[in-house]
Amino acid sequence: MTEHVLRYTRVFDAPRELVFSCMVEPEHMTHFWGPIGVTTPLDQITVDARPGGAFTTVMVNDADGSTYPTSARYTEVSAPERLSWVEAHSGMTVTVRFTDLGDDRTQVDIEQAHVPAQMLDPGAQAGFRTSLDRFAAHLDRLTRAERS
Amino acid sequence: MTSALEQRLDATFAALADPTRRAILARLATGDATVNELAEPFALSLPGISKHLKVLERSGLITRRREAQFRPCHLEREALDAAVDWIETNRRLWSERFDKLDEHLRTVHTPSNGDHRD
Repeated sequence: MTEHVLRYTRVFDAPRELVFSCMVEPEHMTHFWGPIGVTTPLDQITVDARPGGAFTTVMVNDADGSTYPTSARYTEVSAPERLSWVEAHSGMTVTVRFTDLGDDRTQVDIEQAHVPAQMLDPGAQAGFRTSLDRFAAHLDRLTRAERS
Repeated sequence: MTSALEQRLDATFAALADPTRRAILARLATGDATVNELAEPFALSLPGISKHLKVLERSGLITRRREAQFRPCHLEREALDAAVDWIETNRRLWSERFDKLDEHLRTVHTPSNGDHRD
């Protein structure tokens, strides 16, 4: 079945083991995880790098201090070749492949795929259902207001 | 990002995941069209096309006018833009993240002299 997949690639001048470590060790991640103008404090990164393990971050906007918490669960951790996780809220799977190009160069390929809601873990499914319930309740209120 | 927006994107991406539906959207980008006009370039029955149009309609990517006899389909550019914006934001996130990672790697790793290729 076709899925919507987004891909990003970058080559780094560093050995594969080190680049892989950067993606799973909070001490490294705090230096780059937030995009420009956004900081990811070390004490707010949780990495339990094993299948089923939690991966959470809080990104803080430098300008106004607003926070963006993210929550995911690892689905594959195969050092130093492959890493993948599912974002709890969106159901987006992110797969990161690390390819050793030799000469201490490493290619990193990011692949983001949207997975159907029914494939999400039960926690995320409950989240979806809660939103849908709220939407249904909202619609119900609106229709009742129209009738009266 | 709010979950309402994410749910909307969920429907949009599901709708965009199919090549026939993307071709329908590409056709509608040139102007409104009826079901018959849309079915013509595809080896699909009218019910087959209608199924795709229903998915597109539910995702908010297209609307169909109620009053006209042939109910022409209309591309909702704002809905498509929202998906494109999201892709662009996401691309920028990884691009900036990788720029910073590149910088960070320079501080923790010094390429050895002599065998470093440019």
